[in-house]
Amino acid sequence: MKRIPLLLLLLLTFLTFSGCAHRGELNKQEKFLAASPRSILIVPVVNNSVDITAADYMLSTLTFPLAERGYYVFPINAVKRVLEDDGLADSSLVHSSSTAKLANLFGADAVLYVVIEQWDSKYAILTTTTTVAVHYQIKDAKTEDVLWENRVRMVYQPQQSSSGGGSLVGLAVQLAVQAAVAAMEKASPNYMPLARQANASAVLHYPGTGIPFGPYATVEQKN
Amino acid sequence: MLAATKYLFILFLLFSLIGCAAHSRYNWSSYDTKMYKHYKNPAEREDFVRSLKEILDNAEPEDKVPPGVYAEYGFVMYEEGNTQQAIFYYQKEATKWPESRAFMTKLIAIANNRATNQKQNIQRPVDSAIDADQNVQKPSSEVAK
Repeated sequence: MKRIPLLLLLLLTFLTFSGCAHRGELNKQEKFLAASPRSILIVPVVNNSVDITAADYMLSTLTFPLAERGYYVFPINAVKRVLEDDGLADSSLVHSSSTAKLANLFGADAVLYVVIEQWDSKYAILTTTTTVAVHYQIKDAKTEDVLWENRVRMVYQPQQSSSGGGSLVGLAVQLAVQAAVAAMEKASPNYMPLARQANASAVLHYPGTGIPFGPYATVEQKN
Repeated sequence: MLAATKYLFILFLLFSLIGCAAHSRYNWSSYDTKMYKHYKNPAEREDFVRSLKEILDNAEPEDKVPPGVYAEYGFVMYEEGNTQQAIFYYQKEATKWPESRAFMTKLIAIANNRATNQKQNIQRPVDSAIDADQNVQKPSSEVAK
């Protein structure tokens, strides 16, 4: 039990510092910088996991990190509805159709494809652990080249970060609180923080595995 | 040792959260939660429309409207049958974000089309763009003002 925070910390640290020296990734980023897209079209997320809500969590939370990164991000809901009108209600259909054609529909410079590979929740009395794996890919609108790619694996545990002290009563209280939190998560899980974290760790680590700053990034941000 | 780890972990989380909040270019007003709620309960449209308007009301005075939100609001106005408001917000998006112009021009043309048809007293369904394109005859209570 007590090992988990340590593991999580290691994982987070690893995620933060990993990618500082991946030559393959740097090559991709040269391509990205050469293409220097101004706008990114987020298309509906493909969900290969067992959790049917996962795609909605991911789609809702993708705009924020990309816009904050300095890109124009197309309105996800309007895009989704327009695609549905064009007979592309199924996200895997969207992902398998031509990037250039898709981008042309909206006048986008690049298209972001997100695929949820894993999203499993394990419920125990005291904790809920959700393991996710998400694949991200940005393709150029004209050449259809992959400009950027990343894969995030995460283990997520919503937990009360209370410090109950060393006493037995404190411990009992802490366990009770944890059990309550776990029960709540089981009844109606809130994956918003998980989705936000996954997207942030995919996009925001730059230089590294994240994506470079866009045209609307401020000087302050770049420093 | 364990206590230290725990604090480090909390500190780390705090930093990652503050990091996002402090440098935020835009005023999001829980945009992601609002979108998710809409996907979870699509029937609660009024809530969705109101929550989008709320983002605009909060962000406009400081000129911190996130990209896509004017267009998103314009689109729900179109779906509500309010073509005039739809076009108004599409134009705002196009002015603020040149990258959106091609898409906004398309959406404005679609909205204009519907407005013209409405003027000709043809009753059109307002619930979705698909129906409008397919020319389905369905009584509609909402006609552009």
